[in-house]
Amino acid sequence: MPDENQGHSSNGPVASTDRVVGQRVHRYGGVDRVTGAQRYLSDITFTDAAHVAFATVPVGCAAIDAIDTSPAVAMPGVIAVVHADDLPQPVARFGISHRDRPVIATETVNYHGEPVAAVVAETEDEARAAANAVVIHYTELNGVYGLDAALADGARLVQDPSVRPGDDLNSTNVLEQVEYAWGGVGSEGASSHTIIEDTYTFPMVTHFPIEPGGIVAAPTDDGGIEVYSPVQHPYLLQRTIAEVWSIPLSRVRVIAPDPGGGFGGKQTPRYEPLIAFLALKTGRTCRLVLSLEEAFQMMRRSGCRIHARTGFTEAGELTFHEMRVDFVVGAYADVAPRVMTKGSYVGAGPYRIPRVSINARAVLTNTVPSCAFRGFGAPQVGWATESQLDAGARALGLDSLEVRRRNLVQHDEAFIRGDYEARADGRWHESLEKAAELIGWHEPTPLGRGRGISVGIKPGATTGLSQSLVRLLYDGSAMAYAGTSDMGQGARTLWKQILADELGVDLDLITIISGDTNAVPFDLQTSASRSTVFMGNAVLAACEDIRDRVLELYAEATETPQSELAHSPGQLVTPSGAISLVEAAQTALGGLRGEFVGQGTSRLWGTKGHPLGGDAAFYEFNATAIEVEVDRATGEILLTKHVTVGDVGTEINPLQVVSQDEGAAIMGLGHSLMEQMLFDEHGRILNLGAIDYRIPTFNDVALHMQTASVENHDGPGPYGCKGISEGALLCTAGAVGAAVADAIGTPVRDLPITAERVWRTIRDANRDSPD
Amino acid sequence: MASYCRPHTVSEALAALANAEGHGRILVGGTDLLVHLRKDPFAPTVIVDIKSVSDFPPAVEFGAEAVRFGPTARMSEISSDPFIADHLPALGASARVVGSIAIRNRATLIGNICNASPAADTAPALLVYGSTVTMTGPGGERTMPLADFFVEPGQTRCGPDEIVIRVDVPIPDRGHRSAFQRLTRRRGVDLATVSVAAGVDADGRIVLGLGCVGPTPLLTDASPPVDLTDPDAIEGAVEELVSITTPISDVRAARDYREAMVRVLAVRAVQAAAAASEGVSS
Amino acid sequence: MTDSSVHPTSEVAVAVELNGEHVHATIPAHRTLLDMLRDDLGLCGTKRCCAEGECGACSVLLDGELVNSCLVLGAEADGGVLLTIEGLSMDGVTDLQEEFLAAGAVQCGVCIPGQVMAAEQLLQTNPDASRDEIRDVMSGNLCRCASYQRIVEAIQTAAAGRRTDA
Repeated sequence: MPDENQGHSSNGPVASTDRVVGQRVHRYGGVDRVTGAQRYLSDITFTDAAHVAFATVPVGCAAIDAIDTSPAVAMPGVIAVVHADDLPQPVARFGISHRDRPVIATETVNYHGEPVAAVVAETEDEARAAANAVVIHYTELNGVYGLDAALADGARLVQDPSVRPGDDLNSTNVLEQVEYAWGGVGSEGASSHTIIEDTYTFPMVTHFPIEPGGIVAAPTDDGGIEVYSPVQHPYLLQRTIAEVWSIPLSRVRVIAPDPGGGFGGKQTPRYEPLIAFLALKTGRTCRLVLSLEEAFQMMRRSGCRIHARTGFTEAGELTFHEMRVDFVVGAYADVAPRVMTKGSYVGAGPYRIPRVSINARAVLTNTVPSCAFRGFGAPQVGWATESQLDAGARALGLDSLEVRRRNLVQHDEAFIRGDYEARADGRWHESLEKAAELIGWHEPTPLGRGRGISVGIKPGATTGLSQSLVRLLYDGSAMAYAGTSDMGQGARTLWKQILADELGVDLDLITIISGDTNAVPFDLQTSASRSTVFMGNAVLAACEDIRDRVLELYAEATETPQSELAHSPGQLVTPSGAISLVEAAQTALGGLRGEFVGQGTSRLWGTKGHPLGGDAAFYEFNATAIEVEVDRATGEILLTKHVTVGDVGTEINPLQVVSQDEGAAIMGLGHSLMEQMLFDEHGRILNLGAIDYRIPTFNDVALHMQTASVENHDGPGPYGCKGISEGALLCTAGAVGAAVADAIGTPVRDLPITAERVWRTIRDANRDSPD
Repeated sequence: MASYCRPHTVSEALAALANAEGHGRILVGGTDLLVHLRKDPFAPTVIVDIKSVSDFPPAVEFGAEAVRFGPTARMSEISSDPFIADHLPALGASARVVGSIAIRNRATLIGNICNASPAADTAPALLVYGSTVTMTGPGGERTMPLADFFVEPGQTRCGPDEIVIRVDVPIPDRGHRSAFQRLTRRRGVDLATVSVAAGVDADGRIVLGLGCVGPTPLLTDASPPVDLTDPDAIEGAVEELVSITTPISDVRAARDYREAMVRVLAVRAVQAAAAASEGVSS
Repeated sequence: MTDSSVHPTSEVAVAVELNGEHVHATIPAHRTLLDMLRDDLGLCGTKRCCAEGECGACSVLLDGELVNSCLVLGAEADGGVLLTIEGLSMDGVTDLQEEFLAAGAVQCGVCIPGQVMAAEQLLQTNPDASRDEIRDVMSGNLCRCASYQRIVEAIQTAAAGRRTDA
């Protein structure tokens, strides 16, 4: 095995050794994580906490006829048993784009696992036993569990039209739809030598965080509430609690312990309003710790079906691309409409295509509401587009790398046209070429193996607001307040690095505070790989603010004209030479001591009328190449090589870049090769739990794996960085699919590409062409 | 709610089971039992932990004609034992793929068969070697071929008041060779989609033990002598032997895939066994 | 407490040597070792995810062997010797833990205590393990951040360091 090539490489300039940015700084909070001292939500002790358990029904769609709580109420330790009738009427609904999710199931159960009643008891065992004793009389309804059922004439509506008043689509199961088009339609066939038309599917998959999660809510003396939840968006949760229960923001304190894995699954409030209600009603601290199964029933990625029609010239240039995309979003909107609009916005990929037409829909079904998940719609749609490019290459007898070279846009060239065009903000050909080089594209493929190369693109955040406070203390230590949730991406490590360089403070003397809305200023959210750019810029600005303030006070204290002073990272330049910023600060503060407080804001306004609400601050671009060996008799796939190259702008911490890139790439293997949520005819999840929902293990990683970066320092974030945390997952499926097709001669169009599907594809191909 | 006891003798253990009136569950490794307990935590299960019983057969005992496994024989010991690797290679190989290291440190061979899953990893190999199961209970000891032991998924011939105290695995004659093949959904720890153990004797007679292709692990009859150097002959023999299978579609695979795979794996297992040097197999 | 050798009890008294100290707990019969450690003994370094032996987050050493503490009853551990991540880290960060940090193996971190326990057991039982053997042995410990390559690197580096020191 070629071990010498393992690991990570970058073509960027070697970071100068006197800067901390660019160094492999160890993770902030790492020591606590390796010693077990890190306190995730379920590790925090609450004195006198009561425990919550949910009662549910074992079907995906049902009318709730009656609920008999008396057996549960009579059980030992039970404090309260609550269902919809016990809440203020009508039962409040909440959500970001659609206020459609009720605090607790009311009248109907709309997906398997939706809480129907909640028990509060003295111990976890007592709560579970009592929840088990709640008798729910229900009538199973004719739920819609798949796209065809949901879209059929006369299909049962997942949401009553009254939930979406005034919505033209409220008498259908289509929650939202969008169309992107440019270049006109109709004449596309004339310029095309070859037209490829096929249907692709992408499975529903679940986030499977190793910390399933939980919620603790405690009433406060002033009539407010504290909510502990490992959420990615503490400020959204604060707003939701405040709005649902009419409490001023100032009395809703959200404490967000570091999420033990987020991946998009811990963004939005779900059960927090209910747990808050239970706490307010009982006057007790109420604690809910979720099982992994309950986490499966709380978060998943939208499944997707894509019908695509694509034209090519004889030379492999794209002439047109049409897509009809249906996202299976589940019972409530969550952020799925946004996943649909954003994912399909880049549906045609980073290519130069004269005519494009994309029609996408978010379709409601009686399944777990889907939410954000690393890649945010782009992996689903990209799977189809990348597969179409490969199908075109095969039909034309062209090399699939060459087809991508011919169509991939150059720097600053538009790949989305029309009224709101988008241009390449990176030199993406460099990533493509590097991936090809790393996998040895031009070396002959060993017998029995196949190779594929694929690219992916995802728009970063299109609006944003991050605020940060930085304090430089008298002794030369510093603190940053930054609301980004540190869920594994290592955000705090980066803030520490920025402070170290900008203030000239030793890394060990820096503390970062996050996860408490009472202490930390507003941050919109931790999503879309935005934080390094948005919060990074806010932290950077706060550091510059401190340097301005040091300069001003130093001028005053030493009676030096401000015009004779200047500052630079870590330094104040005085007429007698440069001194460290800490020394300058101490001189300026004088005998009273005190501290400097800097404030930084990073704001991106949207663009009115833009289909995404604004231009993306940056694009994540990735090229992935994969080599596989296929056992033709069983269909089993062995990954022999897996390389990915990301266009990162600047690596602020190369160690964390490689962790995130490898992690995303391997996570991408999940939906490509093995992961899928399976449902029975009652809408129940068949593989509910770790035994039959399979995610990649150590042994499922490619024999040879390498990630790399292209650094052109051309991003909008600090030091020219871009967001990076999703890129390496965007086109994993495309590369795996192409490699398998190369190996067996026939493409598989449905994910995951399980051994069984490969075997079936080979068998069917042999039937179609008997020799 | 569950209750727990830890008897020190076989008779104490039997008394505890008798008193449990059908709610008794024997605990040794616990790797299956605790999963069941978690799913049904409020049942009045009586957990009878027999790890402290002092008058069981030892975990592993090597006799001249058979290897005897007691209730405490764990997968980790079986998978790393050189004698088993040499003489019962399909058993060693199948014990090696049971769960993770942490699971193999707890899971027992007898627990694996008493759980009576059609996917029990070691069952195909044990069947191929002609293993017998011995139970003890109020009516005394009784011994039966493992092939007769399985009734249906989760159900064996071991009564609720009985304990399986040993499994005897005859050491095959020299000239007998064996191998194990398994198909899973991923390369890391997984349950079997299909598993096959193959034994071939000096005359080329083939016997297969089959997992996940029927309601219980299955044992085929012996084939007539087959020329093991002839792939077509092996394929033909396998085709006959696997006719006893009745696979179903479930969350792990569809029926037709299992039907095809049991054939592929069986041929490979036979070929691997045939290719192994005498007394030692892959 | 009645004699639990014959008469089943719904509460069980458990005495274990935990990280070098003798501790006692009285727990319900069905309580797992994992829940006993976390809820009764207050040691939350051992993490809970799947609770059915598939993820390895709850890995501890019982009588010197790696087990999933979710698949062991607290009652079964009675009389046993337990080492958890807290015990392993008693004298500060070990060489192996240091290599986890240096390799970038720690992302969200929930699986890491279990990974460290499994890796420590691996180093002690097979100090010369190859990359393939490491991958195979560690496959019972899931990491959703998928730091797998980083963890393998950390184990290899720690193993090399111990060989040099030996």
